[in-house]
Amino acid sequence: MSLETWQEQLRRGGLELAVLLCLAGRARYGLEVIRHLQEGTDLVVTEGTLYPLMARLTGEGLLTSEWREDQGPHPRKYYTLSARGRQRLEQMSGHWREFTGKIDRLLEEAKR
Amino acid sequence: MMLSEAGQARVRGYLYVLERSLRTFQSVEAARDATREVESHIRDRVEEAPAEPDERTALEGILARLGTPTRVARAYSTELAVDEAVATGRLGAVARAVGQLAATGVTGFLGALGLFSGYAIGLGFVAVAVLKPIFPANVGFIWRNGVPMALGAHFNLPPGTEVRGGYWVMLFALAAGMLVLVLTHRAARRFLAWWRSRRSGVFPFDGHGTGRPRPGA
Repeated sequence: MSLETWQEQLRRGGLELAVLLCLAGRARYGLEVIRHLQEGTDLVVTEGTLYPLMARLTGEGLLTSEWREDQGPHPRKYYTLSARGRQRLEQMSGHWREFTGKIDRLLEEAKR
Repeated sequence: MMLSEAGQARVRGYLYVLERSLRTFQSVEAARDATREVESHIRDRVEEAPAEPDERTALEGILARLGTPTRVARAYSTELAVDEAVATGRLGAVARAVGQLAATGVTGFLGALGLFSGYAIGLGFVAVAVLKPIFPANVGFIWRNGVPMALGAHFNLPPGTEVRGGYWVMLFALAAGMLVLVLTHRAARRFLAWWRSRRSGVFPFDGHGTGRPRPGA
């Protein structure tokens, strides 16, 4: 596996969690999610691929969405974390910490 | 930045291609909703973008960051088609999802090849059942030199070859065909569910966030 493929897999694995985290605090529309992710991560490579991901998460019942016409110059589709999404986020966050903790320990061991 | 008529035409063209592509695998309503969302994204990006060095370059940059309409549609297709197939089990949805997986890598290709073979064998049995009453003397178990070789149709029998089996072959082939088709379809749904969990999972965990570690993880 090339380094690029490995990085791509890491991104793909982390993106779903990152989107859920983005929406944990408040409702956001697609471009807001993209901006938020771009500020702190390089997870979004192609902006157009984030909308299908959010559509799938909505289909799975992890997000809810609604069109709002009064919060900008034109209608925007806002996404919110559902109760099921919040539950999934807690589980994923816990496992992410556990996973990165294990990798960190291995990295520390390798340094010694 | 305010778009000129040419810029607006470019955006309309982009959205037209996107909606047409989305409609090939989504309902009209879902395709329209997705296109409306992408249009909202483009309008936001256009409003904040400086028209430098010129409108065309700025707009092409915005569209390039979004990806080509077919790439965006493909991303929708990959994300949603597998879910629809696993959830509904509809033959069309499963066929579309398996076809898409075939293009995603070696595992997807081999899986799709195996499933295609299963469906083809099942349909082959059904075809034998349909052809038997039409060509009773040519459809059945084919024996060569006293040894059973195949089940099928043979219209130009060489010396030493004969077709055996009465109309019961029809029932046998229909039952075998249905059995193979049902088993293949179940395997297809299981394969797609497995692929979906593999796609959405973070490496050591399952794809549903339930926290069950994968074996050996």
